[in-house]
Amino acid sequence: MAITLVILVVFPFLVAAASLALPIAISRYLTIFTGMTTFALSLSLVPAAADHAQVAAGSLLRVDALSVVFVVATTFLYGATGMFAAGYLRLAEGAPGRRYGRRFYAGINLFCWSMLIAPIVNGLALLWVAIEVTTVISALLVAIDDTDGATEASWKYVLIASLGLGIALFATIIMYYAGTTVFGAAYNLSFTKLLAGARHFPPDVVRLSFVLAVLGFGTKMGLFPVHTWLPDAHSEAPTPISALLSGALLAVSFYAILRYYQIAVRSLGSNFPRNVLLIFGLASLLIAALYLLSQHDLKRLLAYSSVEHMGILAIGMSFGAPIAIVGVLLHVLAHAAAKGTAFFGAGSVVRKFGTKDMRRIRGGIEALPWSGSMLVVAVLALSGMPPFGIFRSEFLIVEGGMSDPREEIAALMVVLITLAFFGLSWYTTRTMLSPKQGSSDDGQTLALPTPAKGEVSNWIVAAMVAGALALVILGVHPPAQLGHLLSRASAELAVVR
Amino acid sequence: MAALGTVAPRIVQALQVATIVLGAPLVSGIISHVEARLQGRRGPRMLQPYYDLAKLFRKETVVSEDASWVFLVAPVIAFVCYLVVPLLIPVLTTYGLPLGYMGDILGGGFVLALAGFSVALAGTESGAPYAQLGGSRAMTFGALVEPTILFVVFAVALITGTDLPYALAATVRSSTSEIVRPAHVLAALAFFLVVLVDTGRIPVETHTGTLEFGMIDEARTLEHSGAPLALLKWGAAMKQLILYTILINVFVAPWGLAGTSKLSSVMLAIPSLLGKAIVLGCIFAVIDNLFSKLRLFKITEFIASAFLLAVLAVLVYYVGGG
Amino acid sequence: MAPAPSTYAGVADVAAVLVLLTEFAMLRAPLLRSQVRLYAFQSLVVTGLAVDIAVVRHVGDLYALAIVSFVLKVVLVPGLVLRLLGDADMDLAGSSVLGVASMILIALAVSAFGFFAVGSLQVHSAALPTTALAIAAAVILVAFVLIILRADVVSQAIGFFSLENGVSVASLVVAAGLPLVVEVAFLFDLLVAVVVFGVIMRVHHDRANTLSTEKLDRLKG
Repeated sequence: MAITLVILVVFPFLVAAASLALPIAISRYLTIFTGMTTFALSLSLVPAAADHAQVAAGSLLRVDALSVVFVVATTFLYGATGMFAAGYLRLAEGAPGRRYGRRFYAGINLFCWSMLIAPIVNGLALLWVAIEVTTVISALLVAIDDTDGATEASWKYVLIASLGLGIALFATIIMYYAGTTVFGAAYNLSFTKLLAGARHFPPDVVRLSFVLAVLGFGTKMGLFPVHTWLPDAHSEAPTPISALLSGALLAVSFYAILRYYQIAVRSLGSNFPRNVLLIFGLASLLIAALYLLSQHDLKRLLAYSSVEHMGILAIGMSFGAPIAIVGVLLHVLAHAAAKGTAFFGAGSVVRKFGTKDMRRIRGGIEALPWSGSMLVVAVLALSGMPPFGIFRSEFLIVEGGMSDPREEIAALMVVLITLAFFGLSWYTTRTMLSPKQGSSDDGQTLALPTPAKGEVSNWIVAAMVAGALALVILGVHPPAQLGHLLSRASAELAVVR
Repeated sequence: MAALGTVAPRIVQALQVATIVLGAPLVSGIISHVEARLQGRRGPRMLQPYYDLAKLFRKETVVSEDASWVFLVAPVIAFVCYLVVPLLIPVLTTYGLPLGYMGDILGGGFVLALAGFSVALAGTESGAPYAQLGGSRAMTFGALVEPTILFVVFAVALITGTDLPYALAATVRSSTSEIVRPAHVLAALAFFLVVLVDTGRIPVETHTGTLEFGMIDEARTLEHSGAPLALLKWGAAMKQLILYTILINVFVAPWGLAGTSKLSSVMLAIPSLLGKAIVLGCIFAVIDNLFSKLRLFKITEFIASAFLLAVLAVLVYYVGGG
Repeated sequence: MAPAPSTYAGVADVAAVLVLLTEFAMLRAPLLRSQVRLYAFQSLVVTGLAVDIAVVRHVGDLYALAIVSFVLKVVLVPGLVLRLLGDADMDLAGSSVLGVASMILIALAVSAFGFFAVGSLQVHSAALPTTALAIAAAVILVAFVLIILRADVVSQAIGFFSLENGVSVASLVVAAGLPLVVEVAFLFDLLVAVVVFGVIMRVHHDRANTLSTEKLDRLKG
């Protein structure tokens, strides 16, 4: 098992390096192959992590049930995005040329690599380093299209995210300081050590560290009020990057918060950490639901939906019940699949219609029979419709919330999710399902683009089918091993001193 | 009565005043001499201020027709104020002198402020535009400096638990860790900037300049002549030495003071104080040469930075006793 | 009245205060060049602090760290930014949203908040000077003020780098024993971040022909 970890950490990095030199045609298949291989490897970790406390390779690499959940989510999107990118980039090849393609493939592999190592490394310090690496790489990828919008978005992103990570670094230092009271002046910040000693840490220091960590990593996760970079970066980045940002990067940042949560509950008891997450979560969900109601840009719509779902994750953690935590972790997986699929669909639509403005897109399904209808499926899944994975996970979260004494919060959450549902599905279904020619919102007949019928690329369809399939599996009948994994991770997270 | 070879406290106290009164022109003279040398000039004699004062005292006094008695009384009041302050601060001794407890550091500040106020009042009284300009500017910037001084006093009071200047000097002497403690360093720095402002030095004011537009303190005395002008000039020199003394003997280097009432140690303390004041004066002279004068509206920024330092001193103290 | 801290802690605290003062100076520095030089000076103070702690507490690793941080933060980063400024020969004066006095007052209030927030933790220990930790928190907050109140990419980037200096001070005083690998990883990350900041700053400058961020208002909602 240890060798699996080493392969997961080394292989994508080598592929990234090779992509700089290889022709794009090879990088394309190599990326898909790498994504699928890492996904298979991460699945092979599932049983081991569900049965054992941890799988370690040396002192630097270590996974337990919690990290495997995030590894699986990341690698799944790695493979799917690899397929999507093959279709997405093929069109663009003529114009931007070979340099663009090489940079793009090197970047995307490096980005996936950095998101992959974040849950695998052992210790808060290395975790921070990995997440900072994800920031710098993804900032460059956001800027890769070299348009005014991309430059602006990537500047905002790199600045705000770096500031957030500056705070997170401060949180790391303070957590280290908390540890010195138990372990002496020099020790490493490995999880095993921190979790073992957490109950003796000075509570005030841990409290400060936890709040700073939620604020800092919350910046990258897209929690209100530090989510402001998120819609810009998601909408201006090339679509494969948007999918990775939304489905995997936000989740990995959430993973970092969960690690702090794990230490904090051991040291402080669960009330304080839960309340902090509740405040951030509710605020994010509320803001996202409101923005979703008035959003015309397809990719920004999906970006705000990410803010919404990150809010749901934070609220789910704040319920604290093991069943809610299982729901949260399932939600991470389901959201990765659903948001990936949705962005793939959006990328297909944008390529076809040449605009992101949903008021100018009509008759999506007519033009794109496969990817259009699967975009609708993904949007319905994101809105929490059965029989998809997000329905199951949200159901579990609400169930956990109902067992909480403050059950009105669960009710409020359901109301806000419903609000978001209206915003999300209203515009997309109108865009996709309404007939090709119609009047626009303000009554005038605009010259709407009317592209010919036919898919943009089969690769895109394949990627979306994979995502939709995963959503259905997670919703209808999650594999038993996965269930074990989630319960084990949930049990570890719910340990209170 | 005191034993042979010792000096009675009251006499020491009189000596403190005398040191300031008689030493101030010398310190000013040496500073302007050094300054001239730094600028490549030969400069005035070191004793020149004494000759100037003597000459001014012999000159007749001209008073504007519009001016009232305030114009003539103010220089005297200011001079008396400058005579009072040396009673309150540690000029020569490490131990407190009888009248030293008359007022704390704030009291000394008030007396200095009264002096400044009366000079500004006299300038305004004269009715001459430049003197009025100087008076109003001096009061404006004085009002801005005031909070800084207050915060410096707070910092001192927090560190020592009292606001007697003697106590701070004793605390500083007690160990090196007291010198490097941030609250003290910051307060001392803030006070250093205050001294720059209050003695009318670059970057706030060119004290040797003749351009009325840039003047602040200097402009106030433009209308005075004869003996009152002599008193004002003498007072200005004394104020400078007093501020130097506070900076040296309270904040930066409270060594070389007389620890006992022995005649020899008290007599040694006088040259040591003047020596330290001259060294400090040379530092100011160097600053004069290194920097240029700020525009008038930028002076608030300069004072703001002093204020910042003083506030930080208090804050740093509150956190973890720094 | 509290007893004075030990001489070592006092030196560390003074260094931390110096870092804070440089941060304030950066806030008011009108020229971008002087801001970059102030950053170099601030990094130098941080390096000095590392050496001080290495000597007093006998942490050999910190010497290596001091060397790396000197090369990186005193020489390399300011050099890179100055080169960018050299290429962009227009708008060398930064843009600030507010006047100097109000900026300083805001920053003072913010740093007071930082002081008391960390100070109220009441973490006291003989070996670890908590004052410096509080000052580091103030530095971080003032860096935020700098980034918010300045509207040009260079100031904002320098703001981020100096924020990192604040965190460095914190890590030096409370986490001097942090493994060298980790410290160097932090610094390496900073280097990567600098390069990325540099790239994006250059792209922005090439596209907009200015260093100001006022044009960056297209993306809303």
